Amino acid sequence: MSYLEDDLKMALRRTEPPEDFAKRVLTRANAPAPPEPAWWGRLAVLLRPPRVQWVALSIVASIIIPVAGVQYRKERQLRAEGEKAREQLVFAVRVAGSKLHHVQQKVLEMGRMDTRL
Amino acid sequence: MKIIWSLTICLLVGAAGYAQALDLKNLDRLSAKASDTTDVTLDGSLLKLAAKFLSANDPDQAKIKKLVAELKGIYVKTFEFENEGAYSESDVTAIRSQLKSPGWSRIVTVHSSKDGDNAEVYLNTGGSDGGLAIICANPKQLTVVNIVGKIDLDELSELGGNLGVPKIDIEKEKPKPPKKEDD
Repeated sequence: MSYLEDDLKMALRRTEPPEDFAKRVLTRANAPAPPEPAWWGRLAVLLRPPRVQWVALSIVASIIIPVAGVQYRKERQLRAEGEKAREQLVFAVRVAGSKLHHVQQKVLEMGRMDTRL
Repeated sequence: MKIIWSLTICLLVGAAGYAQALDLKNLDRLSAKASDTTDVTLDGSLLKLAAKFLSANDPDQAKIKKLVAELKGIYVKTFEFENEGAYSESDVTAIRSQLKSPGWSRIVTVHSSKDGDNAEVYLNTGGSDGGLAIICANPKQLTVVNIVGKIDLDELSELGGNLGVPKIDIEKEKPKPPKKEDD
């Protein structure tokens, strides 16, 4: 016989369960279900390390992410308003300046005409 | 009683602060007749916000930033019309009548009968803030500018003359020397 067959026989040989095996199985099967833990008991499970770290992390993340999102949106809105206001300001200064410049030019032209006369 | 006095003082202070911004609402109805309308209203807070967004690296924007630092408001209304006579003299008179109030003085009036251009420049030197108003009217265009606050007119005019156009130094044409007559 080869070693392989010996090994297989050893591995597949019939073994008897311990004497109290059947009794233990029956006892566990007939035992009443453990009482449902109260809600605080279930909550307390979360506070046992290492879960507490993950819970704390998720609470912090659930606060920070929405706040950061709102802040980002506000910042973007302010930026858009600022850009628009800047364009309006440049335009307004351009119009005001060009009109004033136009008036100055007219006055200068008239001054020149007066001196020519 | 104290509350009534405080409210009265607040109202008076508010009115005094706002007094230098002209009421241009009567011009709003012209936008229905105009082919092009521009309405810029930049009050104190919006002006400050706009100034924050002006780039210090851009020379024109840097000049504007410096120019508007002490301003409290800029209001511009322009109307362009397809046809002449779309607005009446009374529309302009309503603005002019506000500029007759104490503090305002007309510094320039230009009237060109050739192209129908009328321009008036008013300065407010009475209040602590100062201010400027420009009314430019020609048959097909009406522009009203009101600036509240201290402003350098030369800088403003320079910006109006140069904005968006690079400065080019063009050498003035030298007068030709008179030709020598041959003997």
